[in-house]
Amino acid sequence: MAYKLGVDVGGTFTDFFLWSADGTVSTSKTLSTPSDPSIGVLDGIRQIAADQGTDFTSFASQITTIVHGTTVTTNATLTRNGAKTGLLTTKGVRDALEMRRGIREEQYNNRFTNVVPLVPRHLRAPVAGRLDYQGDEVEPLDLDDVQAAVRLFAGEQVEAVAICFMNSFANQSHEDVAAEIVRRELPDAFLSVSSEVLPTIRFYNRVSTTVLNSYIGPILHSYLESLTSKLEAAGFGGVLLIMQSNGGVALPELAMRRPATTLLSGPAGGPGAAVAHTRAHGSDDCIVVDMGGTSFDASLVRDGEAAMYQESEIDRLRIALPMLAITTIGAGGGSIGWIDEGGLLRMGPQSAGADPGPASYGRGGDLPTCTDANVVLGYLDPEFFAGGAMPLESDQASKAVARHIAEPLGLSVEEAAAGMYRVINTNMAHGVREITVERGLDPRDFPLVVAGGAGSLHACMIARELEIPSLLVPATASVLCAAGMVLSDLQHDFVRSYVSRFGELDMDRLAELVATMTAEGDTQLGLEGIDPKRVEHLIDLDLRYVKQYHEVTVPVAAQAIAAGDLTTIAEAFHREHDRLYGYNLADEGTELELINVRVRSVGRTDKPELPTLKPGGEDPGGALKGTRRAYVPESDAFADVAVYDGHRIEPNNVIAGPALIERVDTTILVSSSFTARVDDHGSCLLRANGG
Amino acid sequence: MADHVAAPEIDKVLVSIIGRALKAFTDEMSISMEKTTRSPILCEAKDFVTGLYDAEGRMLEQTENLPILSFSLGPVCAHIAEKFAGNVYPGDVFLHNDVFSLGNQNNDVAAFKPIFVGEDLVGWSATKGHQADIGGNVRGGYNPNATEVWQEGLRIPAVKVYERGELRRDVWDLIFANVRLDIVQEDMRAEIGACTVGERRLMALVEKYGLERFEAHKEYLFEATRKMMEAEIRAIPDGVYEGEGRVFFDGKNVGSSYTIRVKITVAGDHITFDYSDTDAQTDAFVNGIYASSASATLLTFLQMVNPDIPHNHGMIQPIDIIIPEGTILNAAYPAATTFGNHLCPPNADSIMRALAPVIPTRVTAGWNNLLCSLTSGDDPRKNDTFVDIMFMGLKGGSGAMCDTDGYDHIGMIDASGGLLDQDYEMFEQQTPHLLLKHEFLTDSAGAGEHRGGLGVETRYRIGSDDTQLVTFGDGDEEPAFGLAGGTDGTLNKIELHYPDGRVYKTTSKDLVESVPRDTLYIQEAGGGGGYGDPHKRPAAKVLAEVRDGVVSIGAARDTYGVAIDAATLEIDEGETAKLRGSR
Repeated sequence: MAYKLGVDVGGTFTDFFLWSADGTVSTSKTLSTPSDPSIGVLDGIRQIAADQGTDFTSFASQITTIVHGTTVTTNATLTRNGAKTGLLTTKGVRDALEMRRGIREEQYNNRFTNVVPLVPRHLRAPVAGRLDYQGDEVEPLDLDDVQAAVRLFAGEQVEAVAICFMNSFANQSHEDVAAEIVRRELPDAFLSVSSEVLPTIRFYNRVSTTVLNSYIGPILHSYLESLTSKLEAAGFGGVLLIMQSNGGVALPELAMRRPATTLLSGPAGGPGAAVAHTRAHGSDDCIVVDMGGTSFDASLVRDGEAAMYQESEIDRLRIALPMLAITTIGAGGGSIGWIDEGGLLRMGPQSAGADPGPASYGRGGDLPTCTDANVVLGYLDPEFFAGGAMPLESDQASKAVARHIAEPLGLSVEEAAAGMYRVINTNMAHGVREITVERGLDPRDFPLVVAGGAGSLHACMIARELEIPSLLVPATASVLCAAGMVLSDLQHDFVRSYVSRFGELDMDRLAELVATMTAEGDTQLGLEGIDPKRVEHLIDLDLRYVKQYHEVTVPVAAQAIAAGDLTTIAEAFHREHDRLYGYNLADEGTELELINVRVRSVGRTDKPELPTLKPGGEDPGGALKGTRRAYVPESDAFADVAVYDGHRIEPNNVIAGPALIERVDTTILVSSSFTARVDDHGSCLLRANGG
Repeated sequence: MADHVAAPEIDKVLVSIIGRALKAFTDEMSISMEKTTRSPILCEAKDFVTGLYDAEGRMLEQTENLPILSFSLGPVCAHIAEKFAGNVYPGDVFLHNDVFSLGNQNNDVAAFKPIFVGEDLVGWSATKGHQADIGGNVRGGYNPNATEVWQEGLRIPAVKVYERGELRRDVWDLIFANVRLDIVQEDMRAEIGACTVGERRLMALVEKYGLERFEAHKEYLFEATRKMMEAEIRAIPDGVYEGEGRVFFDGKNVGSSYTIRVKITVAGDHITFDYSDTDAQTDAFVNGIYASSASATLLTFLQMVNPDIPHNHGMIQPIDIIIPEGTILNAAYPAATTFGNHLCPPNADSIMRALAPVIPTRVTAGWNNLLCSLTSGDDPRKNDTFVDIMFMGLKGGSGAMCDTDGYDHIGMIDASGGLLDQDYEMFEQQTPHLLLKHEFLTDSAGAGEHRGGLGVETRYRIGSDDTQLVTFGDGDEEPAFGLAGGTDGTLNKIELHYPDGRVYKTTSKDLVESVPRDTLYIQEAGGGGGYGDPHKRPAAKVLAEVRDGVVSIGAARDTYGVAIDAATLEIDEGETAKLRGSR
């Protein structure tokens, strides 16, 4: 039988989602192996083969596609374990990378230090030679400077080189010449050239992105080599695809050209999987929340497309490649509760992590965490945590909450735990607000899709805080990103700067830029073997009013560019500006200005269908395990709450809140103002009563 | 528990929730400003503040991109409420910049919206940003020759520009007929838009919890915050502490200098900053005004306390600030005061110096003072005007602490890293200038066991004939001071190298007309002061900075007592021991 496999390597667990040609799916997890994550991947595949009752090699040979999300580049960046990198840059501006435009994010904190730059100053080699704002040469490139830099890098044994010169977005000739020399003299170094990685205006964005690309390049290379050789040795003969930060997938050799596109590879599968579930309920929009041990990720899907940022940051380092808009805040099962100097209750962002972990893990942690509060509130059955594999110590949870929260505030332990629960829910609700309200969107218009092990105990209250009327907990919630990978399209993003006021815009040049990028897209998708009929090119323009500094990205039809129809383009811009910021200047006759031209080339892949389960009746009685005393947030009181076995519920079951639905990998709280209904795919759809 | 008569019961968790929500709202207002304004001063450098206030003008929360603007918005809300008593309606918008009724600087124009729930005025939302022009004699507002407010810019006492949602076109036009640049109108619309964002959010919050409950929990939040601040103050030993900071050249009288003198009294959980002994006001434009001077005091003190204290009314309750009228920090009507915001650095110096002996682990050494320039003229490439504030050039280093190096290229203490460089390539698009250098300045940081932040050197070639250059700032006569044996930072400097070979070093408050094309502009922003004995700095750290070229081999030897071989770039251990042992 043929299989498709989604593999999501996280910090603690590696998640698997297996789709079989007979339409069934299964999920599993293994412990990650951070020193070489490919070991954990192979362990997991071996385990799945065993679960399927098949021999490992024969199972591996039946996998047609593996879609892989990885945090290797993310972790290398966060822990500063990337390659030793040298930077060739224009003489006079070599510190831009380290200065980060002079920002200190915490203004009142004089102990807040700058980020350690990925390239130390002595490896940032200045090169004379200058282009002006239009790309015209002011001073020729000094080849001696380039040679001197190459000698420095050779002596220092750098493993990667980045090249970024002033105004190269307008003319890449100086970078090309320097690149040629580096390729010749340092053939083993991983090379990134800014006019290839990101040919757009804004020097700091470009130099930071290009350096990141070099810094993680060798890491991604050796990891993917190790993975592919292990897979081959295991008998895998199918296609390996890599999840990119833009939510699309690509062949490993294409991902390796721009390693920086993999920085969000891990969580990038979430939105795609989430919208596949909401689509089954008639919605192309959703908010995705993923609450794990230490952090809470929120992202957004609109009209079937995941929301993107054209520029964002990782660990305070700027990256200006399209990435899914994922807001991360420090809220997870391990978040620690504490009392501030004014006597107010706070949750996080510090986390007890996995070691020592929450007090109830009994591993020496004595600080009260979110998980401990959930134990006190009766949400987690200490005996059934992780399906009983890892029993919790409820005494330890109560003790920690009592000592650190209840006693200082003069509350009972249960009141204190309820307070912790409410505060962390508020924090997460604000995280969701950031990706919706702050982008001019009303969260009430979006169903909430819940992922991650810890999320489904909190989702009802997040939804209530934001007045979101419906939420969906997929049956695969705890491995949602891995599931999403299997559903992703092939996707490549291209961008070129063309700075021009509309009055002076050369439509032929614009059309040519689009054609060049489209051809690049066709070439790359061709390598990936996609049928040309399934290829689509989407064009966006970054536009602004003359003298504004921030652009708005506006989708434009290919015909509008072919026909030179600037009026239609301008109208689209005015509309988008108005939607985002509440006003437009269409009537004031203010001229528009083009900054960047973007093309996204998409190759649509076959998507496996969500499996449909055998329907049952409305009565969930068959799955009832019993009752447990648990906290009901709406009435701010404890009550006997029905507990259902999440593995025995059936489509059409209706479960009125308050109730708990327990699965091995997650527990769902259906709070008293919600009613859950199990859908055809085994997911729980929760609706606010009367909403 | 004490008896409360029909007071709503306090839900301590709800207090936390309301506090967090208010912060999210003012942040959202700030994002709205950043994304929609056009002047680079606002959208690139973020020289603005957003805030929410209660019906009495007490601060609920603020987002202080530029803290110097921050702490007078509340009192102006109260001033408007009083001035327009009985005449404030939903949908009203007020503008204000008047320095003699609690404004900061003429260019800092604020917008205010009253917030109603039903019939009740429940609060105010406000935004204040540095506008690119506000009329007056000099484009951009910095007129070093001004002696009275009318020569500096248009005064806007609190005026109503929208009534019940309707634009008062006559009032609006009167204001903007007196302003040079059209973008100022657009940027004021953006300020009003941001106020609307705050208004909507606060209304929804109050409606959700009910007015009575909101009010009770708000008071509790103030109380909790006040207690946090009182705890911080109690940790400072009781006593009276004095310090000074110096101001050089008032823009008019050559060789002039003035002294700011603060007397800080800590008594239990209360702290008073008294500036009564400060020098008298000048007859030029180097004068502060209460709003900017008191903001300077607060923002400096806030750097010495727990940075997590919420910014609301409770935070400022235990703090008194006395600045008599007629002093250089609070000039009397109708003085020129455009320079007032830039008296923050010497004011901060006076506070740091006063408290350094008492709370040595909380103060910093001196920060690099601001020296800024502004060029304007016609861009020959576009046949259009340009105005540019040289943000990237003005940002020097911060002072070191007892356990932390200063922050490199952060800029003056009034912004504390909230003010950003222009992007280099955008700078070359928006001005006709060609950037030649913007790099850390070797040996600019004051030395110490912990060194000061690095300063920077900026060079560009001026690209238009007849460019006008204005400078404003200080720090070219006295460097950022070192503490506890740390050395001073370097001085600020701006020079023009004309095509004919002439070199002109500007003063710190200058107006240079008709600068020709191809003139070379050179600026140095100095480093911050160091903390502690430089000989105690680990030699390996000194070596690393020599390798990186931010400390010279000479300075390593002479200042840090670390001998480094120029050829091998290795430490000469024996020589180093000798150098370090000789003290």
